[in-house]
Amino acid sequence: MVDRVGLGRALTAALSDDGPEAALAVCRACVTWLPMTGASITVMDGAQGQEPVCATDPGAARIDELQFSLGEGPCVEAFSSGRAVLVPDIAEPGEGRWPMFTAAAVETGARGMFVFPLRAGASRLGVLDCYRDTPGHLDDTELAGALLAADAAMWALLDRLDHRAGEAGRSPSPWYDGSALARAEVHQATGMLMAQAGTAAPTALAALRAAAFLGDRGITEIAADVVARRLRLDPDGSWHVSSNGAAASAEPPHQRGDDEREGREDP
Amino acid sequence: MNTPMAREQSLVEAFVRLADTLVDDYDVIELFHGLCADCVALLGADAAGLLLTDQRDSLQVVSASNEQAHLIELFQLQSEQGPCLDCFRTSEVVMADDLARETRWPAFSARAHDYGFAAVHALPMRLRGQTIGALNLFHREPLTLSGGDLGVGQALADVATIAILSDRNARQRELLTEQLQAALTSRVVIEQAKGVLAERGALDLDQAFLRLREHARATNQRISELAQGIVVGTYDTTMLLRRPR
Repeated sequence: MVDRVGLGRALTAALSDDGPEAALAVCRACVTWLPMTGASITVMDGAQGQEPVCATDPGAARIDELQFSLGEGPCVEAFSSGRAVLVPDIAEPGEGRWPMFTAAAVETGARGMFVFPLRAGASRLGVLDCYRDTPGHLDDTELAGALLAADAAMWALLDRLDHRAGEAGRSPSPWYDGSALARAEVHQATGMLMAQAGTAAPTALAALRAAAFLGDRGITEIAADVVARRLRLDPDGSWHVSSNGAAASAEPPHQRGDDEREGREDP
Repeated sequence: MNTPMAREQSLVEAFVRLADTLVDDYDVIELFHGLCADCVALLGADAAGLLLTDQRDSLQVVSASNEQAHLIELFQLQSEQGPCLDCFRTSEVVMADDLARETRWPAFSARAHDYGFAAVHALPMRLRGQTIGALNLFHREPLTLSGGDLGVGQALADVATIAILSDRNARQRELLTEQLQAALTSRVVIEQAKGVLAERGALDLDQAFLRLREHARATNQRISELAQGIVVGTYDTTMLLRRPR
C-alpha cells in the first residue's frame, strides 16, 4: 500500500527544486515512496536523440544506457509509441520483445520495469523509467503513485523550458498542481497560447505553469483566463491582460469552469 | 426515432458501428463522441457524458454531448459527489429518476437543476471485474428509465468498454493501463488542437471541435491524427479555417 500523502508531499517538495535537481528529486521520491529499486529520467527527441537527465543509482543509469546503445527496450518503446510500457518481469522467458536488451539488463539485477512517457499532449518530452529487483505487477496504488510521479516528472522537464517556474523554490508556497493535467481548459489554453506565441506545446504549458506560479494562482485559473480571452501570450514570452475579454475575437468567449475563477484578474 | 422500426434500425446501426471498432483500427475520440451521441439519439436522453478513470484515484470527463453535461460532470468531480461517482465506485447502475426529491447528493442535485436537468442515470463501464468509468444519461424531465432502455444503454456501454480495452493479449493488466492512458492522451491532443483552431479562427471551442471533426471527415482522416498534425504544426489549417460555403 503506497502512502499517497507522503508521495504527494515528496513530489511537491521535488518541484520546488530548480531544474535538474527537481527531476532527480522526483526519481528519488519514486524510490522512497514506491516499491522501486531505481528510477531515471531521460529527455528524448526522436529515435536518435536522447539526453539522460538524472538517475538515482548506477543500475538505473546503466539500464538507460543499454537501451540507447542497443536501440531497443521499454524506454525506446514507450517513447516511440507514446504509451506506458509495464513489464512485470523482463527475465520471464515469454517476454521476448527486446532480446538483446533483456539479456544485458538481467545482468544488472533488474526484474520489473515500468516506463512512463512524459508528454504535453501532442509533444513527447522523454520518459520516466522505474525498475525494481523483484518481479511482479504494480498494484493499483503503486500504479496510481507512479502515474503521479510521471506527471511531476513532466512538470520538472517543463520547468527547464521556463525558468520563471523553476524559481518556485524561493516561493513561500511551492506547489504541485497534479490535477491540472486532467482539465480540458488547461490543454485548450495550451493550444491557444501556441497559436498566439508561435511556440510548441511544452513551451506553452511551461508558460502557463510559470504564470500560475508567479501570480500564486492555480494553473486551471490561468487557463480559464486564457480560454476566456482575458490573457494573451506574446511571442517574446510576455503576458498581456485584455481588459474587455473577447476584444480580439469575433465570437463570444467560451465560459468553462466558472467555479474557480473568482476575484483576481492579473496573472 | 418515433416508430419502433426506425428505432430498431438505428440501434442496429449503432451496434454495427461499435462492432466495427472491434475488428478494425479506430479513433478513440470518435468512439467517445459516438457513444454519447448514440445515447441521446437512441435512448431519448437530453444529454450524455462519459467519465473514465485516470488511474490516479480520479475520473476524467472524456466526452459530453453538450456544455451543460460537461459542466455538471466536472462539478461532480470537484465536489466529489454524484450518481456518476457512486456508479464508478460501486460498479452498479445508479438511478436518480427525480432530482427534486433526491437526498443522496444535495449539492449535485442543486447544480443539476441549475443546468436544467431533472433526472440522471449512471451506467458502469466495466469488463472482467475492472470498472474503467461511467456513462451518464441526463434528462430535462423526471423520468424512470424503462428496463429496455437501461438494457440498451448498458449494452452500448459494454461494447464501448470492450472497444477501449480491445487488445486481446495475455498482458491484460498492463494493457488496461496502456490503453486507458493512451485514450486520455488522445483527448489531451484534441483539446490542444481545439485551442489552436479557436485562436487562429476566432472560434469558440465547440465550433473549433466541429470544424475539426467535419474537416477530418471531409478529408478522410482520423480526428486524432488531424489534431496531432495541427498541434505539432505539420498540418496547414488554412483550408480547415476557411468559412464553409
